Formats: sequence, C-alpha cells, structure tokens
Amino acid sequence: MSATADGTADGAPDVTEGNASGVTLASDVGGTFTDVVLIGTDGQVRVAKTLTTPDDPTTGLLRGVEQVLASSGVAPGEVGRFVHATTLATNVILERTGVPVAFVTTEGFGSMLALGRQARVEEERYDLAYEQPDPPVPHTHTFTVPERVAADGQVLAPLDETAAARVADDIAALRVAAVAICLLHSYVNPEHEERLAAIIRARLPESVPVVTSASVWPELGEYERATTTLMSAYVGPVMASYLDRLGGRLRDLGVTAPVHVMESAGGVLPAALAAARAVYTIESGPAAGVIAAARQGARRGLADLISFDMGGTTAKAGLVRGGRPGVTHEFQVGGKGSFGGRRPGTGVPIKIPAIDLAEVGSGGGSIAWVDAGTLRVGPRSAGADPGPACYGRGGELPTVTDANLVLGYLDPDGFGELRLSPERAEAAIAEHVAGPLGVPVVEAAAAVHDIANAQMGAAIHVVTVRRGIDPRGFTLVALGGAAPTHVVRLAERFGIGRVLVPPQAGVGSAVGLLHADLAIERARTFLAPVGELVSCSVGRDRLGELADVLADLERAALVDLAVDRAEVSRSVGIRFTGQAHAFTVELPAGPITPGVVRGAAEEFYKRYHESYGIDLRDPAELTTARVRAVLPSGSRDTPRAEPAPDVAGARRVWLDGAFREVPVRARGGIAPGETLTGPCVLTEPQCSLLVPPGWRGTADDHGALLLESGTWPQKTT
Amino acid sequence: MAPENDLTAEILRNALCVAAEEASIVVVRSAYSTFIVEGADAAAAILDADGRLVAHSLSTALIQCASLRSALPHVLKAHPAAAMRPGDVFVLNDVYQGGIHANDLLVFRPVFVDGAPAYFTGTLIHVADLSGLSAGGMASDATDVYLEGLQLPPVRVATAAGLVDDLVRVLAANSRTPDKLVGDLRALIAGANVAARRLEEIIAEHTPAGLARGVAGYLAHTERRMRAGLAALPAGTHRGEYTLDDGHTVRVAVTADGAGALVVDFDGTDEQVPLPVNSGFSQTHGGVMYAVRCFVDPDLPMNEGCFAPVEVRMPPGTLVHCTPPFPGGGRFGTVAAAEEAIFAALTEAGGGVAASGILQAFSISGARRPWLHMSFDLGGTGARADHDGADATGALFGGGRNIIPQAEPIEARLPVRVEEVALIPGSGGAGRHRGGLGTRTVIRMLEDARVDTRGDRLHRPPPGAAGGAPGRAGGYHRQRADGTREPLGSKATRQPLAVGEALVVETSGGGGYGDPADRDPAAVRRDRAEGRTA
Repeated sequence: MSATADGTADGAPDVTEGNASGVTLASDVGGTFTDVVLIGTDGQVRVAKTLTTPDDPTTGLLRGVEQVLASSGVAPGEVGRFVHATTLATNVILERTGVPVAFVTTEGFGSMLALGRQARVEEERYDLAYEQPDPPVPHTHTFTVPERVAADGQVLAPLDETAAARVADDIAALRVAAVAICLLHSYVNPEHEERLAAIIRARLPESVPVVTSASVWPELGEYERATTTLMSAYVGPVMASYLDRLGGRLRDLGVTAPVHVMESAGGVLPAALAAARAVYTIESGPAAGVIAAARQGARRGLADLISFDMGGTTAKAGLVRGGRPGVTHEFQVGGKGSFGGRRPGTGVPIKIPAIDLAEVGSGGGSIAWVDAGTLRVGPRSAGADPGPACYGRGGELPTVTDANLVLGYLDPDGFGELRLSPERAEAAIAEHVAGPLGVPVVEAAAAVHDIANAQMGAAIHVVTVRRGIDPRGFTLVALGGAAPTHVVRLAERFGIGRVLVPPQAGVGSAVGLLHADLAIERARTFLAPVGELVSCSVGRDRLGELADVLADLERAALVDLAVDRAEVSRSVGIRFTGQAHAFTVELPAGPITPGVVRGAAEEFYKRYHESYGIDLRDPAELTTARVRAVLPSGSRDTPRAEPAPDVAGARRVWLDGAFREVPVRARGGIAPGETLTGPCVLTEPQCSLLVPPGWRGTADDHGALLLESGTWPQKTT
Repeated sequence: MAPENDLTAEILRNALCVAAEEASIVVVRSAYSTFIVEGADAAAAILDADGRLVAHSLSTALIQCASLRSALPHVLKAHPAAAMRPGDVFVLNDVYQGGIHANDLLVFRPVFVDGAPAYFTGTLIHVADLSGLSAGGMASDATDVYLEGLQLPPVRVATAAGLVDDLVRVLAANSRTPDKLVGDLRALIAGANVAARRLEEIIAEHTPAGLARGVAGYLAHTERRMRAGLAALPAGTHRGEYTLDDGHTVRVAVTADGAGALVVDFDGTDEQVPLPVNSGFSQTHGGVMYAVRCFVDPDLPMNEGCFAPVEVRMPPGTLVHCTPPFPGGGRFGTVAAAEEAIFAALTEAGGGVAASGILQAFSISGARRPWLHMSFDLGGTGARADHDGADATGALFGGGRNIIPQAEPIEARLPVRVEEVALIPGSGGAGRHRGGLGTRTVIRMLEDARVDTRGDRLHRPPPGAAGGAPGRAGGYHRQRADGTREPLGSKATRQPLAVGEALVVETSGGGGYGDPADRDPAAVRRDRAEGRTA
C-alpha cells in the first residue's frame, strides 16, 4: 500500500457494505490497553481487552482479535468489516516522531512556514521572555521553484522544469521520507503542483510519498493549506506502514475484511485513504468516544452530554449539545490549551474537521510521585510496559490504578487477562508516596485518587466552564477502562447530578466504532457570484462548471470509499461578496439549476440574519463546493450487555475517610429496571464502577446504567 | 470538591469573556474591509456603566480595548444614561474623546437592567475609508485632524427602530468606498448586539445582583493579583526615553511604591507636532498597560483590575496626548516609543532591553477606480538577555502576525500580485543574542495605484542593548518595471505606482543584546544554516 499524491485509494479491496450486516470487528488502540469488540449477526457483543504492545501495536491487537473470535466462535472468514481507531497520527505529531519531510513552494515564499500566522495568545504577547517556536520544517528542508499561477487559475509563469529538477536532486540528497508541495493558487489550478510532484517523484525512491496541497485541502489560504499538507506528509508514511502491517497480519489470521479507520469527524475511511490523508485521522480514537456518548445518550433521551473517556495514559472530554458533538474545522498541532492543543494561534494549524474535545495526559497508568514534599500524579505514565505495580509485570512505581486497588475500588481478579496484586500496589505506594510524605498508605492512595480526579476535571473544565457553559445541566458519560472508577466523583466535583454508564463502558470507544458510518468529505474552492450563476445570459457556463465540480467531487469521494454508490450530500459555501466567512448551505438532490442556487442564497440570507441580526440582501458569492459521501454502517442496534452470573459479595472500600463494607455486584447480573443504591461497587471484566453514597441508579434493558445523585435535580444558581 | 459559588463565579467570568470574543468574531465575519476580514482584527469589550472594563476579546491588539475603555465616559457625558433607550447604539471616532483617528470607529450599546443602562458592549475596527486626504486614512501629511477624515463625536447611530438613516447617509457620502463603510458599520453594530444579547442571557441566568457580584469579585481578584505583581518591581523612580525617527522624544518616569501601586508619568515628553505622529490619550494608555503587563503574571486577565493600580499622567499637548486640532492617526510610532521607554525604565538595573522593529503600515488605492488594500508588516523584536528576538511579530502592538492577510486572498480580491514575503537574512541586530528578523514584501500593481506609507524606526533603527548592535533599518521602496528601486520615504503620501511597478516594504530587524563576540558558535552556525544571517 502506498500513499498516493492525488489522494485516491490504490489497491483497496471492494467494499460491499452488505457484508457489514454480518460480523463487525472494531478495535481501539490506546496507550495502555487495546480494546477489541465483535458484534455478531445476533447483535451480541463480545469483548477482549489486551495490553497495548507499543513497539508494534498490531501484536496486542491481533491477540485481542484472536481472543474475541475464539470466545464468540466466529470464523475469521466470517468477519465482514474491521473498524479501527488509532492514536498513531496524534502521537506521531505530538511526539514529533514523524518522518523527515521536505517542503516546496512558489519562489518568493520560502519563509512561509517560518513566518506562519502566529496569533500570539494573550499570555504570550505580554511576555518579554517570549521565544518563537521553531518552524515545522527547517529552512534547510524548504525549497522554492520559479512558477506562478494567478488567482483565476491562469498560468503567469510556467513551471521552470530545470529548476524543479535541481530541487528534486537536492531533496533526493537529503534522504527525506516524504515531500509536501504547496504552490500558490493550486486550489484553482493544480497543474504545476502535479507536474512538480511528478518531477520530484521520478528522482526519489517509490516509497517516498510526494503529497500535493490540492489533493489534501484544495482551498484558498496558502499557509493553512501548506501546514495541512505538510502534516499529512509527515504522518502518512508512518500510518501507511502501520496499516500495511496490520492488514497483512489480519490476512494471515484469515480475516480478509476491509480495514476502515476512524477519521476525526466521526466517519471512517478505507485504510488506503487513511494513509494518503493521514491528517484526517488525527483524533481517530477520541472521536469514537464522543460519537459513542452521543449515541448512548440519544437512547435515553439525553441530548446534552459530556463524554468522559479515561484510559491508561490519557483522558478526554467532549461536549454533546442538542444531541450533536461539536465539530471544529481547525486543529492546532503543538498548541496550548489542552494536551494536544486547540487554542487558535498556538500551534501549527491543520484544516480538518474534527470532533471538538479536550485531552489531559493523565490516566489510570499515571505515576504518583513526591516532588519536594508535594504529591504529584503524572505526567509520566507506566503505560502497558511495565504497567502499574499491581500488574506484576515489572512495574515498581505506584500509579492511579494501584491507588484505586488499595482503596478497594477495583477487583483484584482484575481486567481481562490480568490479575491485580494489592500487595504490590501497597508496597509501591508505601515506598514512593506514603513513606516520603509520612502518612498512612491508604491516605496516600486516597490523595492520589483525588488528584487524578482533579486532573480529569481539567479536561471537563476546558470544554464547559472555560467556555462559559455550566456543566451542571449535562449528563456525564463514562467510557474507557478507568472512567467508571472515577466518573461519579468527577460528577460531584462539578455538581453534575446525572451519570450514564453504557454497557461495555470499559471498551466504550471501540463499541462506538461498531456503528461508525463509512464517510468521506471532498471540497474545492469555487468562487462565483450568485448573480452570475442565476443570470440567463452568462449563467449557463458557470452553472455547468459548478455541476461539473460537484460531479467530480462526488466521483472522487466514491473512489475514496471504493464503492459505486453511497448517500451523497452536496453543499456550497456562500458569503457576501467581499466578506471572508462563508456559511455552508446544503443543496437539494437533482440537477444544478438557477433555482437551486437562488434557494441556497435565500437560505444563506436567512441564516446570516439569524446569526448576526443583520437583515442584508447584498450580492453573495459561492466560495466552496463540497460533497460528503456516506455509507451507513450495517449495525444499527445498540448492543446488549453480555449476560453474566450475578456474584453478590462485599468488599472493604475507602469512602470519605474510612473503610466501609459495601456490596459488590457483577454488572452483568443487574436486571433491567432494577434500582441500585450507593455505596456499592459493580464489577465487570473491563472495569469497576464505584457508586458512592448518595447516588442511586437504574439499569435499562440494554444494560446501560443511569446514576442520579440524591440531590438531583438541583438548582444551578 | 470545588465550592458551588466558586464554580458559578468561574462560569460567569468565562461567559463574559466568551461574549466579548463572540462579538469580535461576529464583527470579523460580517465586516467588508479586506484588512479586517482576512486579517481578523476586531476589538470587542464589555464594560459597566461606571466605565470599568469587565472583559475583552483576546484575538485582537490589546491597546484597542483600552481605547474602548477610555471612550465610554465621553459617550456617557454626551448622552447621559437617563437619556438612553434600549436598542440605542452610539458611534464615535474623536481622538480627543478616547478615539484613535477617523477610520477607527468605536461603537457602544447599552445593556439595560431595571430600566437603566448597567453595562455596555463595545466594538472597534479600522473601517475601509472615511474621507481625509488619502484613501484608508493614512495620509502622513495630514497637518490637522480634519485632514485625517470625517470627525465623529459620540452620536446615536441606531435605535430600536434600526439605523439612523440620516447619519448613515452622511457617513456614506464621506467615504470613497461607501458600500464597504456601511457594511463595516453594520458589522460593528452586529458585534455589539451579539455581546449585548449574551449579556442579557447572563443576567437572566445569574440575576442582575448575581452578575454585579460576580463582576465585582472578578475585578477585585484581578486587581489583587496585579498589585501583587507590581509590588515586586523595584521601589523608586525609574526613567526611560525613546526617540522617534523625526527626532522627537518620549520621556517617562515610572515610580513604584513597592506596595503594588505604579505611577507612569510622561512629563518632559516633547510637544505634539502638526503631523500624524502624536497619539491620543487612549492609545497611549493602552500602550502603557501593555508595557507594564510585561512585568507581571502574563496569565492575568485584562480588565479594570489591571488598570486600577496604575496611574498614568499624560501631559496634554505632548506627543502622547494630542489636543485639538493636532492629528492622532500616526500614533503607533509614539505608542511603541512609550512602551520602549517604560521597558528601559524598568530594566535599567539589568542593562536595558534591545528595541524592536515595529508595525509598518501602508495602503494602496486605485488611481482610476476605488479599491483599497490597507495592511502592515511587522518588524523583528529585540533580543533579550537570555534569548534571541522573535522574527516579524507584532509584539509592541499587542497582536500577532495573523493580522496580516495571506497572499492568496489578497490576490483573489484586489488588482495586485504579491511576489515575495520573506524574512531578510542578516536583518536582526548582532549580539550575544541576535535581534529578530524583519521581512520584505513585494506587491506588484496590476492597475495604476497610489501608495501611502507610515513607518518609524527606519532612520533610527532599533538600538541594541548591553553592547548589541541595532537591527537593520527597513524602508519603503518603489520598484520600477525594469527592477530598479527608489526609496519612497517612511511617510510617503499618495505616491503614484503605475501598473507593472511594485511596492517593496521592508521592516526593521530587532536590536541585539550583548557583545556579538560572545555569541555561542553553535548559534552562529545555526543562523547561517537556517539563512538567518547572510
């Protein structure tokens, strides 16, 4: 598999979604755990949780696939679809472990990346100590070529092929692993970019992708187009080789189903496309969690939700309002504001639609340590290897998970393939936390748990309070192995009175993937005044052009998805002539007529009035043609919980300053409609739910638990 | 567990900031000037009826918000609160009443509680054109304020019934680009309206008393933190000065009492001049706040709590406080000089700071039909005692580089072609730490045009400190079709640029810090490899 510059999928197997009504496998590779879930023809969901194998994540993933196939008795050949979420692209960018990239642009603009747009954020602009960040590509790897295309697409100066060849030789000498090209106005005329790519490609090994900006994000604005292209080139080869290896190992196992990768906006892409347009997968894993939360909430009639996804290494929070996850259209790499960073002007922008969320680098595996008499948790994580002390896999340092075990919140019989050792956990906390602080072990553990809650709170804070949104009217949804242990305490911190714990919450993101639609969006800048499009004299040609552009985009989207047919929605960007910000307006199906354009303009006027309170009917213009192709996933039903025998028991659990004997139940044994009262602990193979005093919950017939605080509903003012 | 009222207070504070930010976004999205829509530079603020700044938008130049704060009392003086009605919107540009210059319109809308204005929302942008000698309001030969453009004292521009059409007609009749001007005005009003709507929602949710309590707590908390930061400044009076290209000097004495209060006194500053070099008091005040805040916690929110402990004395009739009829449009040279003077005063013990290149403005307008490209480029910042200066950022203006439009949108809208936007190798002043680099921008005319320029620190490039060299002086040039270059002057007015000729704008590099001989050899090698030195 290789990432081709024009973004088309080469060699992708035929996707026939009809098969998806059969067996679907989904997997979510996190920093600590790899979750694999399978939904069979009967709607039953099987789950496997294995330790992530950081050196080669496919190893842990394949082990999970084998386990879940064995436990469900499904033959590998019966799997019709394999959906995958990976944090690979994010990690590569955040840890700067992508491949060396060369960047080529139009002569005169070699400083483009160094100059950037740098909207300095508040605290930086006051700072006499401000230091400029390094540009994403060093000057030594930046090249320019003589050529020029005008804003209307006309070629003003032909591409200097001799100079281009010289640049290609210089790039070849650098031994980079990818090349990004962004020439001025290529969004309207990509000829020079394509020709330059061909010249460079001819002088580089076949394994080195040459990515053009018009193939990644063909829209006006050279800097953002350049950085988006650059990041795609930077991550692409890593993603391609990973997916190549994954596909191979799945085939070795007998799983021949197509591999789909979650994209940041909540759809999924065929593997070949995910490699070619790697930036689209940047928030692959976290997006799955928010989509899952929205879906779970919808089933209970809850439209305002905060998804809280806590794994071993990181935790993420996302906001769902009115049933819809928030989507941003610009992601800041290396930015500030949260782990992963989204604050405008604080990093390198990538112009991709992405589910809006906040992330903190703290999870169950975060290591607790004492820094000059102060207890700290993280940011180092024990990850999967060596893992928390209680895993007994060589980890000596205490983690949040060790604290939770000491406090009685976790079942020593553990998660999936692991048994947890309370003795090791206690010893680690005693040596590294309680000893240095001079406090009893259990109090040290309680402090670690509380600090972890405060850190999780920071992610929720970013998506709510920081935006002036009161979280108290929202329902907190727990996803991820560590979330159920912390979620109710976290709700209490914010005065949130309602918590939803979906079935299989411990692998919630992977379950969300089962229902992700295959989807791709294609867009291109198309500048044309509405007046021209609807006038009978000159309109025909331009209308025809618009129809052609939309048809081209639709064809390209179907090729992307490797399908013949899909649900296609078309839209256009419209703005007042002279303004910069456009509204996206959907177009009806059918031929593009003056009436269709007029209707879109009317809709634009209406929405402009609603948004800004200005009732204006000035001349408007189209800016962008956009097509989204969606192939709905076959699996529509929300999975039911695995039936499990109810093992009622009791355990000593640390609550509010003392150990108390509280009931312990198996989550799967809770009958639909049954009411639970805290304090109690509900265990399941992947996680452990702590219900503190003052909370009660009911299970629905799908196994989802809705917990409510005794003081709910409360006044928020 | 966070106490309930702490959380409520924090939600409230953030809601106020978000409202200001949203207003700023609305203005940018609904404005018409290329400069605004592609550069994203609109200021928005929320103030209370006592004129205290409560919150402002973060995405814009900070000193603009100070002007909104300074102007509101003059609006209230002209239009007593008791005479205001719901739906009223006021506009002004008068530099002597808190404005900046003709093209910067300040718009205010009262928000009513129990039948009386309790809060105000304000927005501010540089509008396309509002008369004056040169299109875009950049004439450097405007010897008085009337030549800068149409003067607007605080007047009512809209009521609950809509725009005051008579006034709008006068404004349109005084603009070379009337449609864009009216569009920009509508955008300003839309922004103020959106913030007012958010504020009304906040009042409904938190009750008027709850909001008042929250605002009081927020401002008091900020003031405590500001005072704590100022208390750390060395007690006593510190002096600094900075001289502009034309030889005029801004002098300042900064007196810290060591307990959190500061007096910034510009006594001794040269007299105002009959050219657009002076600053109105509101922009100087903004510059003072910017400079002082560089010495306190950068995370402090910008609100009245920051202003309260700082007394600013700006003698009327000097460069930093122009009086009628002296013009104020060229203020950024003077404001930047005031900022450098304060830096010098507060760092006198540590060897001072190297100066920075500043924002260099220019406008290009059509000679045969009305079109306008107004923009600016930014100089390199001065090196600091422990690191190199930053390349081409708008440090002293309190903004960033994203106020500069990209080349593609400019070309898509205007009859010009951008041929080069590049860092100038070797333009940073030499030193143990190197000054930041300036830039060169080359814009080719596709139609006959005229150009106005407005720069400073071009004849006296930014000096270094502690033995560092000054940055390379920038400048403005006309490039003939045959490639020859001639200087245009740092304050050129309506100079012709024929089709095929180009405007070349070069910004100054920042000064260096320390002896260049002490520079780390590895840094010297890196500079050469990265093309930062020639």
